Amino acid sequence: MRNKIILLAIIPLAIIIFISSCGEENIKYQRYYSDGSQLYKIHCQNCHMSNGEGLGQLIPPLTDSIFLRKNREKLVCYVNYGLNDSIKINGIDYQGQMPAEKHLAAIDLAKTLTFITNSFGNNQGIYDVIEVQKNLNNCK
Amino acid sequence: MKRYIPQFCAVVLLMIASCSSEPKKLPILGNREPFEKDLNGKKVMDTIYQKIPDFSFMDQDSVIINNDSLANKIYVADFFFTSCPSICPIMSKHMLQIYNKYHGNPNVALLSHTIDPKHDTIPVLKKYAEKLGVKDNQWHFLLGNRDTVYQLAKTGYMSFAAQDSTVPGGITHSGYMILVDSKRHIRGAYDGTDEGQVKQLMSDMDILLAEEKAKKNEK
Repeated sequence: MRNKIILLAIIPLAIIIFISSCGEENIKYQRYYSDGSQLYKIHCQNCHMSNGEGLGQLIPPLTDSIFLRKNREKLVCYVNYGLNDSIKINGIDYQGQMPAEKHLAAIDLAKTLTFITNSFGNNQGIYDVIEVQKNLNNCK
Repeated sequence: MKRYIPQFCAVVLLMIASCSSEPKKLPILGNREPFEKDLNGKKVMDTIYQKIPDFSFMDQDSVIINNDSLANKIYVADFFFTSCPSICPIMSKHMLQIYNKYHGNPNVALLSHTIDPKHDTIPVLKKYAEKLGVKDNQWHFLLGNRDTVYQLAKTGYMSFAAQDSTVPGGITHSGYMILVDSKRHIRGAYDGTDEGQVKQLMSDMDILLAEEKAKKNEK
């Protein structure tokens, strides 16, 4: 009988510890990522495709993790202001124009980039709104 | 009573077998008109189906493509422009899947009409084709007078294209892929942005190719 009471007390405690250990950061990341996947569908997928592979030598893929890591600060500029000059990804020059998505709010840019940098074989953690704002100010 | 069961089963099997041996046939779409014609002195009713009108455009290799060059071929047509930021890339991706599946088949052609002839000159179209990975002359990227192409889209393919400054890219158009047989009849229209519809298009192309082959053998 006594054992049962102890067990009944321990189970809820264990659940509480489990939930809180998920952490606020993780929940924030999950929220960014799932919202980002919806934003990606609306604003990016037509060109970069559902699997992020792009189109031939016309539209670059989003699968080059090294490029994404190296140019992490510039990513938000690419999305916000578009691209007019060529860009080299996986050794291929892409010369097409990328349309600007200036209507996106900073928080939406953050969610979209979080989705992109953690999908298609990329795994680079959250790209949060503070980082977006900082990098936007440094766009050339 | 029981001894009839085998016979019954046989009849059912026969019915199923006769059903499946009937080849599938695609409908002929578009406007149609009945007309009367003489057949061995007797008057019979027949139907005129809508036909793709005569056209003559230049492709990415500066070759004239018209109805004669497409004789004995079935083809898929769509409308696009190279600087299109909206539905064109996904349509090109799906056209590329069709191109790869029927690559080298002399009875299949693909036509992509540009609806932005001012920007999409022959060199621009050539570059677009090359970057997409199109190297032979089975997929034609066609350049023509703007109004002629818009008119062809509307009256010929029951599709549409028009200028609209409110949409990204400045030109609005439908995302349809139109399947046309060797008699210039429309046999199917599919949403080129939808993967399931494009799969349907490819299986319908197989049905149409079988039908065309059977017709050739009759002659």
